[in-house]
Amino acid sequence: MTKDRHCPLVNLHASSPNAMRLNRLMRMSRRDTLMTGMAGMGVLAVGNAVAADPTTSTDPELERFMTVSARLTDRASLDPRIGQALYERILQSGPERKAQLSKLAALLESGTYENASAFAKAAEQADPVFKDVIHDIMTGWYRGVADGKVVVYRSALMFDVTKDAIYPKTYAAGGPFYWTTQPPEVDKPTGAPALSPSKFDVEPT
Amino acid sequence: MSSDQNLSADVVIVGSGVAGSSIANELARAGISVIVLEAGPRVDRQHFVDNFRNLENKPSYQGPFPSTPWAVHPPNQMTPNQYLHTSGPNAEAYQQVYLRMMGGTTWHWAGCAWRYLPSDFELKTRYGQGRDWALKYDDLEPFYYQAEVMMGVCGPDPKVEDLGSPRQQPYPMEALPISYAAQQFRKLINEKTPYRVVHEPQARNTRPYDGRPTCEGHNNCMPICPIGAMYNGGYSVYHAEAAGAKFVPNAVVYKIERDSANKKVTAVHYYDPDKGSHRVTGKYFVIAAHCIETAKLLLVSADEQSPDGIANSSGHVGRNMMDHTGVQVTFISGDKALWPGRGPLETNVIDNFRDGDWRGDRGAYLVHMVDDNQVDFATQLAISKGYVGKDLEDQIRYLASHTVRLFSHNEALPDPDNRLTLSKTHKDALGIPHPDVYYKLPEYTVRSCEHTRGLFKDLIGLMHGTDEQWTPGYFPQDHPSGSTIMGVDPKDSVVDGHCRTHDHENLFIASSSVFSTVGTGNITLTVAALALRVADTLKKELLHA
Repeated sequence: MTKDRHCPLVNLHASSPNAMRLNRLMRMSRRDTLMTGMAGMGVLAVGNAVAADPTTSTDPELERFMTVSARLTDRASLDPRIGQALYERILQSGPERKAQLSKLAALLESGTYENASAFAKAAEQADPVFKDVIHDIMTGWYRGVADGKVVVYRSALMFDVTKDAIYPKTYAAGGPFYWTTQPPEVDKPTGAPALSPSKFDVEPT
Repeated sequence: MSSDQNLSADVVIVGSGVAGSSIANELARAGISVIVLEAGPRVDRQHFVDNFRNLENKPSYQGPFPSTPWAVHPPNQMTPNQYLHTSGPNAEAYQQVYLRMMGGTTWHWAGCAWRYLPSDFELKTRYGQGRDWALKYDDLEPFYYQAEVMMGVCGPDPKVEDLGSPRQQPYPMEALPISYAAQQFRKLINEKTPYRVVHEPQARNTRPYDGRPTCEGHNNCMPICPIGAMYNGGYSVYHAEAAGAKFVPNAVVYKIERDSANKKVTAVHYYDPDKGSHRVTGKYFVIAAHCIETAKLLLVSADEQSPDGIANSSGHVGRNMMDHTGVQVTFISGDKALWPGRGPLETNVIDNFRDGDWRGDRGAYLVHMVDDNQVDFATQLAISKGYVGKDLEDQIRYLASHTVRLFSHNEALPDPDNRLTLSKTHKDALGIPHPDVYYKLPEYTVRSCEHTRGLFKDLIGLMHGTDEQWTPGYFPQDHPSGSTIMGVDPKDSVVDGHCRTHDHENLFIASSSVFSTVGTGNITLTVAALALRVADTLKKELLHA
């Protein structure tokens, strides 16, 4: 790649006569940028106070969240560092979420479910509130978003599912004109929804 | 900067977007002293890339670009809005977004670099609608080319694919190879309809150009190209500064001072963010502050000499507001996988409805098949449908590879009743009124949109589409124009064919605000060409005076 053009005043903070004020205004707040570096580095970047290796975590509720997540994604393994960040963020979305997650885990522990769909269906039948809890878990793992905040971007599972065809925006790595080649064919899926449908509102641009 | 510091230059420019920065660059390279006053802050690309990656609502083009209290821009296209207040029967159709910061709104354009058609400049003469410009296509042709060289525009060979705007020179770069999805779309249109799909001319590098790299297809032209392969006004700022032009960020111009005869502008006054006031004198002045902010500034500057605002003896400042109104639909194709979103965002267009005899009755339009990565959309849709686990993953793959989005640019007409005024109820942190816009879609545009809906329904049928989601009503394409309209008669227009205000001999306007009609192609290349023509006029007058 050609060397980037020299920009003599790229440092916003140094160049502005209102440096402190601009710094505050133009940078998105900490609340908006949870785990900023994580997607890029593929390494845990959440607050330093958190144990660096949650695989050795002694929080049984986190372990139960990981078990529920594995069942709902039909995946044998999930990144525990992302799991910990998602769990903490989902708890922020409401005071009732912790108890609801615990009850959902208890439901899973009390029975045998052959796949994600069977478990989700049973959960919604047991208590309609589990539908929202499952939405939170699906949105967390697949979109990388919890409580309306980006927890991970590039590492969201939606990009793992599609990585043979397409790159996450801003992370293309195929080289110029990779897009002219034919991507993989995709057959129409035969699976059915497990949960009742929800309203889908496209956010404003 | 202290308020007693005297700022002066041969040419003082208000606004650092593509228009202001390209004029500054041309003049500075000719040895003319230039000061550019930019209301917003100086910014850099990387922190917008970071903001984008951390944005939950990824399609929000304004999302990564927060505004400052002293240079507010609309936060989104929602009505009601925190800054641009629209009203009238089609208020939502004029909810434009733009950016107030160094480099301007091309930080988040898609690089579409259309020339207008010769007929776009003569709509009244040819079709009895709207107005004629006070210049012809041929007057602008050399400046179109200059703008294409400045930005780095790639486009098709006219002998192979004639886009209808005659060229004296080939495009500076070869056309961008279109994606597999666009290839399939083009094949379908060519084989199954009487229409055609053409390469969109784009300010995007198909080879290293102007110190910037070749496009790598990050699919993020809007809101931010992560590598600078797409031109934005910031690059003209860098060039102009290297040539000696002085740019002042966070300088909010609020007053335009004239001589006692009210014939010449003598100075502009700006506030810094702490409302310290500064006076900048010059020989010539150019307002290049975006269609909405330019009209707002002329109106805000009203005083005893000019009670209706500056350059407004015609009463047309703020009137004739136009845009490309959009029709948009998203659906799931029943044909083979397309996987849109591999490569840049907007690369191909159905151009059959850009001109025709029917333009006496209904507006022209063009159609984009938007080549947008649909993975996040597909995931949200599949979760809302109730899928989990392996079934969810199958749905994500299917929907992401089969979602198609079409949208149009439908032509407006200049109607004096579609008007920008100063808000009586809302002011910014410096006490400057917000803009209000009344908007009623011309019937000419409504008929055009109806025609587009019919075409889209046909295309959905051809692609065996399901799950149609029509964007409700009419939506703005963020191409505002007309607020300081060009014309030969000073009684019903604000600027002449050289973008000089009829009222003040040393005051020019470089913006889409001078457009007499809005055509169909994205407006930026025409803004740049007009700006470069202003620079040419100023060079002639200053260097040969």
